Order: sequence, then C-alpha cells, then structure tokens
Amino acid sequence: MDEWKPNPAIKPHKKRSWYLAWKYKLMNQRALRKLCQTGAVLFLLVTVIVNIKLILDTRRAAYEEEEESAQDYDDEMLNVEVPRHPVSNKKVLDVEVYSSRSKVYVAVDGTTVLEDEAREQGRGIHVIVLNQATGHVMAKRVFDTYSPHEDEAMVLFLNMVARGRILIFTIKDEGSFHLKDTAKNVLKSLGSQVAPFLSWRDMWTFVGKKGGEVYGEKHAKSPALSTWGDPVLLKTEVHLTSVEDAECHWPDTELNRRRKRFCSKVEGYGSVCSCKDPTPIEFNPDPLKDNKVFDVPVAVIAGNRPNYLYRMLRSLLSAQGVNPQMITVFIDGYYEEPMDVVELFGLSGIQHTPISIKNARVSQHYKASLTATFNLFPDAKFAVVLEEDLDISVDFFSFLSQSIHLLEEDESLYCISAWNDQGYEHTAEDPSLLYRVETMPGLGWVLRKSLYKDELEPKWPTPEKLWDWDMWMRMPEQRKGRECIIPDISRSYHFGIVGLNMNGYFHEAYFKKHKFNTVPNVQLKNVESLRKDAYETEIHRLMGEAEVLDHSKNPCEDSFVPDTEGRVYVMFIRMDQEADFTTWTQLAKCLHIWDLDVRGNHKGLWRLFRKKNHFLVVGVPASPYSSKKPSLVTPIYMEPPAKEEGAVAVPAVAAAEQT
Amino acid sequence: MQKINKNVVLALLSLTSLVFLLFQLYYYKFYLSQKNGAVFSKLRGRQSGQDSTRWHVVRKFLGLISSHNIPVYLIDPLILGLVDKDIEHIRGSSDGPSPECKYFCAPRDFTTFALLDKTWKHEAGLFRTAEKMGFQWLKIINKDPRLDGMDDLSGVEIPLHYIFKLASHAIHLVVFYERSGNYLWHGPLRLKQHMDRKFVPFRKLHFGRYPGAYEKPELLLVSIDDLKVQIPKNPSSFLEEMSHSRFLECRYREARAFFQLYPDDASLDAVEFRKKAKSLLHLAALTLNNLGVKFWLSSGTCLGWYRQCNVIPHSKDVDLGVFIRDYKADIIPAFQKAGLPLKHKFGKVEDSLELSFQGEDDMKLDIFFFYEEDDHIWNGGTQAKSGKKFKYLFPKFTLCWTEFVELRVHVPCETLQYIEANYGPDWKVPVKTWDWKSSPSNVQYNGVWPVDEWDDVIQIY
Repeated sequence: MDEWKPNPAIKPHKKRSWYLAWKYKLMNQRALRKLCQTGAVLFLLVTVIVNIKLILDTRRAAYEEEEESAQDYDDEMLNVEVPRHPVSNKKVLDVEVYSSRSKVYVAVDGTTVLEDEAREQGRGIHVIVLNQATGHVMAKRVFDTYSPHEDEAMVLFLNMVARGRILIFTIKDEGSFHLKDTAKNVLKSLGSQVAPFLSWRDMWTFVGKKGGEVYGEKHAKSPALSTWGDPVLLKTEVHLTSVEDAECHWPDTELNRRRKRFCSKVEGYGSVCSCKDPTPIEFNPDPLKDNKVFDVPVAVIAGNRPNYLYRMLRSLLSAQGVNPQMITVFIDGYYEEPMDVVELFGLSGIQHTPISIKNARVSQHYKASLTATFNLFPDAKFAVVLEEDLDISVDFFSFLSQSIHLLEEDESLYCISAWNDQGYEHTAEDPSLLYRVETMPGLGWVLRKSLYKDELEPKWPTPEKLWDWDMWMRMPEQRKGRECIIPDISRSYHFGIVGLNMNGYFHEAYFKKHKFNTVPNVQLKNVESLRKDAYETEIHRLMGEAEVLDHSKNPCEDSFVPDTEGRVYVMFIRMDQEADFTTWTQLAKCLHIWDLDVRGNHKGLWRLFRKKNHFLVVGVPASPYSSKKPSLVTPIYMEPPAKEEGAVAVPAVAAAEQT
Repeated sequence: MQKINKNVVLALLSLTSLVFLLFQLYYYKFYLSQKNGAVFSKLRGRQSGQDSTRWHVVRKFLGLISSHNIPVYLIDPLILGLVDKDIEHIRGSSDGPSPECKYFCAPRDFTTFALLDKTWKHEAGLFRTAEKMGFQWLKIINKDPRLDGMDDLSGVEIPLHYIFKLASHAIHLVVFYERSGNYLWHGPLRLKQHMDRKFVPFRKLHFGRYPGAYEKPELLLVSIDDLKVQIPKNPSSFLEEMSHSRFLECRYREARAFFQLYPDDASLDAVEFRKKAKSLLHLAALTLNNLGVKFWLSSGTCLGWYRQCNVIPHSKDVDLGVFIRDYKADIIPAFQKAGLPLKHKFGKVEDSLELSFQGEDDMKLDIFFFYEEDDHIWNGGTQAKSGKKFKYLFPKFTLCWTEFVELRVHVPCETLQYIEANYGPDWKVPVKTWDWKSSPSNVQYNGVWPVDEWDDVIQIY
C-alpha cells in the first residue's frame, strides 16, 4: 500500500468522483492490490503473534517475580487458620441443668459449661449467665448460701446482670440455710415459683431470662432433715434473640467499642455495661507536676481474679500522674476474663503459661513478669510492682515521684513500698511522714533494675523450690542489710479476701483496719532526712524530743499514753539481742497490729502513732538508741503466753499473703 | 462479495492490531510500570504528573501523622542519598519555597518513614482518618521478640510495619522498638496467609527482608521540597549503618530444647561466673566501641549464644573476634585504662595476632584477630612454651547484629558454619574438657615461630 500515491490530477472539490477514480484505479491494478493485501495480512498476523508472545512473556516474568517475593516475605510459620466456629444460625439453645447433693452440671447445646462433683467444695447456688444472643457463658459464680452473707453477694451480683441475659441456677448440696427473704424475693422476681419456699437440702434448678420469660424450673423437696431431695434434671430450650437486641446503643467511639466488646463477653461488672448511664472506663486524672515516675513501667501481677483486677485497675488509672502506656498486666495462666478486663481499659496484657505449683508458681510468675518488664522498657531504671488485689491511693504516683530519687542515690535502700505493715487506723496518722524499715513490705513497691538484674534475677528460686518470692526477698542473703522506705499511711490497700494464703478471717483480722490515704497531692515532709545518715540524725533528734512514758503502767492499756495530741513519746522494751522479738510480738498483739512476724523495725526501733501522738518503741539493749534510756527506767518485758494456744498457728502460713 | 470480505478481514485485522496496541500500552502503564519501575523510570521521570503524585502522597501522609501527633522520621535510602549530597545546603537553608521538587519527586515506588514505638499510642483513630483521606493501609504484626527469650509468656502481637497506599505511591512506615542493649530494632516483614500479596511490590521494600538493629539516631528537622520532615542528623552514616543492619534473633526455642536435654547449671558458682562474664563483656564492648573497632562473639562465647542464648558457665573466658584490618594500636592501652591489663600477646599484626586481657578473678578476655584470604578466613594460635603456631580456618562470613546478655553485639551471620568449623558437627553436646590445640575441628599446624622472634611474638605478663 505504501507504493500507492494519490493521483494529483483528481480535483479535491469533487469527493465522490475522487473516490470512484481511486477505486477504479485500484481495480485496474489488481496484481498490485493483491500484493498489498497479502502483505498487510501478513504484517498484521505477525503483529498479533508478537503481541501475544510479549504478553505471555511479561505475564510469566511477573508471576515468577511474584512467587519469589512471596517466598521472601512469607511467614515461615505455618499459619493454620483456626477453624472458626460457623456462625450458628440456630435460634434455639438446648439447656440441661442438674442439681443433686454431690454433683451439679450445666450443659448448653451439649457442651458442658459447668461440672462440679468435687467433694467438700462448691456447696450452694451455682449461677451461670448466658448471652441471650450468642449463648456464650458470660459469668459463672457459686454462692455458698448455706453460710451467712453469701446471699447478699448473690443479690448484688444478680442486680448487676443486665436485663435480657439468661440466668441458670442450680443447687449443690445445700443452698437454703442462709438464703434470706431478700434473696428469695429477687429469685421470685426473676420468675421462680419455687424460690420463696426453698428449704433445707432441697434440690432446685431454674432457667430464666432476666426481666423476661421463664424457660423451666424443677424442684425436689427434701423428705427429712437428714436426707437430701432427689436429684433433679431440667431440660429446656432457650430462644436466642438477635445480636442488636442484646447490645446497648452507646455512641460509636473508640472507648465504647472496647466497652461493647467487653460487655458482650462477660457479666458481673455492674454499671460499666449499663446501657443508660455506663460508668467511665477512662479517667484522665490530673497530671502531676514534675512527675519523676511518668516513665517508670508498672507491672501488675494478676491471676484469675478478674473482678479484683477490675477494681484494682480502676483505682490505678484514677491515680494522679498515672501513665497508662507504661502499665503491663501479667496474667498467670491463659484466662480469658482477666484479659478482657485488661482490654476494656485499653492496657496491654501478657499471659504466662503456669510453671510449677502453688507458691513456686507465683514466684515463677513474678520472675517472668519482672524480666519481661525490663525487656519491654529497656530504658527504665525502676519498675513499680503491683498486685491485682490492691487499691491504689490517689497520690500513689505523687508519693513515688517525691521519693524515687532516694532509691537511685542511696545504695543502702532496698525498695520503696507503698505499704506500712503497722499502719492501722489506730496507729497511723501522718500522710506526709516516711520511715526507713528493715523489712520489705511489698504490696505496691518500687524495684531498682540494677538490683533485679545484677542480684535477684540470676539466683531467683528455681521452679522446684516451693518458696514464696517475697519471703525469699526478705532473706538476709538477698536483702544484705538494706532498708525500704515506707509511708506512715499506706498508699495501697489490700482488699483481696480470696487468695493463695488468704481467707476471710485472716483478712478481717489483719487487713481490714489498715489505714489508706485518700488525700490527693500530699507534700511529703523532709524527704532528704530519709537518707542513711540523715535518718540517724533525725531519729536522735526525735529521741531527744521524746517524753519517756510511765513504764509502771501496762503498755496494752489505752491509759499508757496520755490523752494528748501531737506529742512524741518513747517506751523501752526488753530486747536482749538483735533477733529477740519476744516482747515486741506481745506488744504488737495487744496493740492489734501485725504480729505474725516482725515488721517495720529499724535498728530495734518501731515508730507508730497512738492517740495521735508519735509513739516510739525501743528495744533495750539491742538497739543503738538504748543509750537514750534514762537509767531509772526498766525496759518492759512481756511474757509470751503458754504454748497451748492453737489459734495462732493458722496465720503463720498466711503471713505470706502480706505482699 | 469476495472483495467485500477481504476488506472486512482487513478492517478486522487492523482493529485487532489496534486493540492489542492499546492493551500493550495499558499494560505497561498500569502493571509493568509498578513492577519494574526502575526500567521505565527514565521515561516516567519526565512525566511531571507522576512526580507530583509522590510529593502529594508524602505531603498527605505527613499531614495525617502530624494531625495525630505521631513523630516519624524519614529513613528512605533513596531520598536520604539525595539529601546527603546537599546536606550542607539543606541544613542551612531557611524556610523559603524551594524552586523545584528535587527529593520527594524522585522516581521510586515507596517512601519509607520510621516510627519509634514508645512515642505513640496505638490508636485506631489514625487508620480511620487515613481511610477518609483515601489511603489504603496494611498492618503487619508479629510476635514481640522482647518476650521471645522468656519461657512462657505470650504477649499481644506487636505492629512491625505499616504500609499506606494512595494512588500509585505507597508509604512504608517501619516501627522501631527499643531493646535491652540500648539499640533500636525493627522486625522482618512477613505476610500472613490471608494477606494481599499484591498490595504493593513487597520485594522492593528497603526494610523488612530481615530484622535490623540500629543505634538511636539523632534527628534533625529540615524542610525539603517545602515539606517539613525529621531526618537522621547524619544521613550518610545512617545509610552506612543500614547496609550492615541485619539482626539475628537468638534461637530461644532451640536453647530451651538444649536445656531440656542438658539442664542448666544453677549453682552459685555458675551464677557468679555468668555475672562476671557479662560485666566483662559489657566492659570490653564499651572499650572497643569507643575505639570504633568492630568485633564479634567468637569461639565459646559465640557457641554459648548460638546454643543456649547465654554464657556457658564452664567456659573460662570471653572470646571476641576482630578483623585484622580493624586493628588499632590503642587497643592495648585502652583496655589497660579500662582496668583490664594485658595478660599475653601472641603473634604480630602481620601474622596470628592474639591478645589476652586479665579481668576480675581469673576471668580472661581473649581477642583473636582474623585474617581474610580469598576463600577463607583464619585466625592464629601460639603455644607459649614451644613456639608452635596453629591456624584455625573458617569459611567466609559476614557480620550480623544480635542481642546477648543485654548487649547489642556482632556475630557471624553464617553462625552455624562458623560454629561447625570450630566445634565440628557435635557442637550441640556440651564438652567440659577442651584443648584449644587439638579439640577444634578446624585447627591446622602452622609451623613454629623463629626463635629470634619469640620475644616479640610471645609476650606474657
């Protein structure tokens, strides 16, 4: 076609004739035209082939590259997709509930969600809360309503459960002895016909929706005082509602999204899941001016007590000067609910596969948590160590911020602790006062990284040693004569009643009356005098100022201390050598302070308050302060009671929980 | 009829050809240009539209992160390379508008920024804003290596990389974590199964093929191409550091398996020894780093790291390796100053140099100097009483970073070969008796020092 040239003779103004002329001309050159056509066809075919080849080639090249790159960047671990439970479209749940003397169980759609046939355990009313939309277990509780006050706890719990949730009740052994009318009425209001008439050793199962229908109830009366009712098995069906109906309609914010996730999984946290007026989960307490502990990591050591953890984190996040980014919660075991609590508050949590048993397990958990803390915050010189059963004072960080430089500069210090073992309601008075003590109280304390890394971590008790970590830390080999700084009024409060070494009686006796600071922004007094040598000067000053009490009176009597305020008194007790605490222990006992082991001493001196007067106790002659004793005064000696008393034996073990 | 048919065929063929031609163009533009940017970049370089896209994407991204108060800094090697050439000018320049887009318009597929983990709070808000601005984003998370060495902790997975894509350009945001040993670490980029492999050409990323370790950089706020960004104060040294930044994690899992087989020595002696070895290693690292001498864990210390992620308690010393080209005469006085007197010196700089320093209570620090040949690397040994020389051969290796006893140190990247050369295939079995002259599997007899050189090549203090 290239050869063809337009005929210049053709007139451009006559298009039609131009075309005809062209056609005619071509027709006349048939051979040429044929050639052109064939050439064009060939050319086009070649183009097409080349194009196809090009496309195929680039495709392959690109694909190979893709393959290669995928290899480089593939996660080498085989990520086996966790088979997700197919979203069940089922609208009905089969629920089975069994109640008998020695065994209870609850099965939902064939899955056992509760089974308790342990002897001597799990007595009372078991309660299970299910999500009305998903059928998931949101809470499991047992209330030993055979014992007093447990019914009150149950009422409290039931009131916290959101409307619409499915409640399952079953009795194991006995559940009516201390089930009072209030509780019975609450059960009645849930739709139970039987609850008001529940009596001694009756068996009972009940399934109902809070504020709605009743799905089933079965009851077996005990025929006689000495026998139990026949086992009852309730089988019923529960109709699920839609997810939207089961959720609250909070405004869509980041916080509420966390709240929603939490509230659809667990129950029993009260107003945090209230639809109308949910309690805040972000607290924004006032920042501290010149906060020296803003960058100090906080390790919260937790087990499976999610309600405790919830209370603890609330108080921690409300403390002035808190930095949530530095908080890590270490959970001993793969428990879901504590992790849910941690996520509710937007904190980071780390789970720890339990190693060893009992005390050693706690001890290994501590070690892992501390090591991890310093790994996660390699810049940190200190770590704050807290436990899940502590309330944190509003000025906790302010207290630490004012005192932490001492830990950095004074080599003779072992720790700073927020807890005063002897700081009870009647023995602590001054929120701005600090002490140096030879014991390590724990319960909210600051650990120096160098102490941990250089001394404690390398020789931490191994898993096979069933030691309490805190007892181990108190041993002279570890403490090496160093002291801790504590406040007169504790900045933490130990509220845990359930624990490894803990029970209600013990808590009532030793922790309930502990004083806890609630005043914000306390300015600590004379912090520099807490340094090693300055403290001695301070004590000598105090001793010089102190009035010697009348040693002929009984120190246990209130009248031993005059009815004054703001004075300093001193008494001398017998303490033959450094480790002789005979008299002190008796004195501590009658003053109703910590007497299970010796706490709070500094060179044979104890400092506390009585009737708002500073009250010093000096052990003579072991204490270097004995020289201040007037020669006429005979140190008081108190005889330990004869050994027959058995009651003290129990708490001896329990002392461990004191940290 | 026939003629018409032929014409139709002709027309059809032309049409097909045209379609192919168009397709080809389309293909280059939207597929290949992304894949093989470099090949076509010269062509594209002239297209100012493409250039300003990059600049616009970067600007948008900087706007996004500054609206969330997230401090990022630029670590893109390409741009930093350009910036480095004009660094004096950029440092000194005021905020006046720059005449041309010189840096952020440079042809490339990505712009890489770094983010220090502790300087921001992981918040979902950022991504929502990003989406509103038109970014598509990808987050790559993985295990937290800071908890890897700990037996049984399972933390939350941490974000390692983010990629924000807008139009034809993508921003790669590398998250740096501070780790024990005073350094920054970034993770490898590994795609999980469900992830979009074609989100961006991952292969072309400058960061993420391996994990990396860096010093904490000093930053400088500069204005380039009318954008205010933080850059490392010294881009050239950052780029140099980047080329040797590969990081090896200790093999914690294997170490645990090792301790299952051979329970760890928890005696007080072992604890004490480890403590001393650790502080000696810290002191040695400090001294050598101050001199700018590159060193790595060698022999028993390296084996301890590789096999059990710890100091071997029954080894008697700390062993380091240094390339002879990095030798400096001030090494000996520097150690002396640090409280580590010279214990012995064997060999000379030209041949088989080895230095030993005396640490606290019998702890010894050995520094072996390594000589590079074409196909192998070797270091020498000398028997003091006989003047015999020995040679230890190693296959060629490069150096990687790792973390050991809270210290960032080098180890041979090809650690297994290094260790097998030294200890043979049975290195996994602990041996308590070790003769440095005969036990190593790579030892060669290397003659005897001439007697007249003895005073020089065998110095014992």
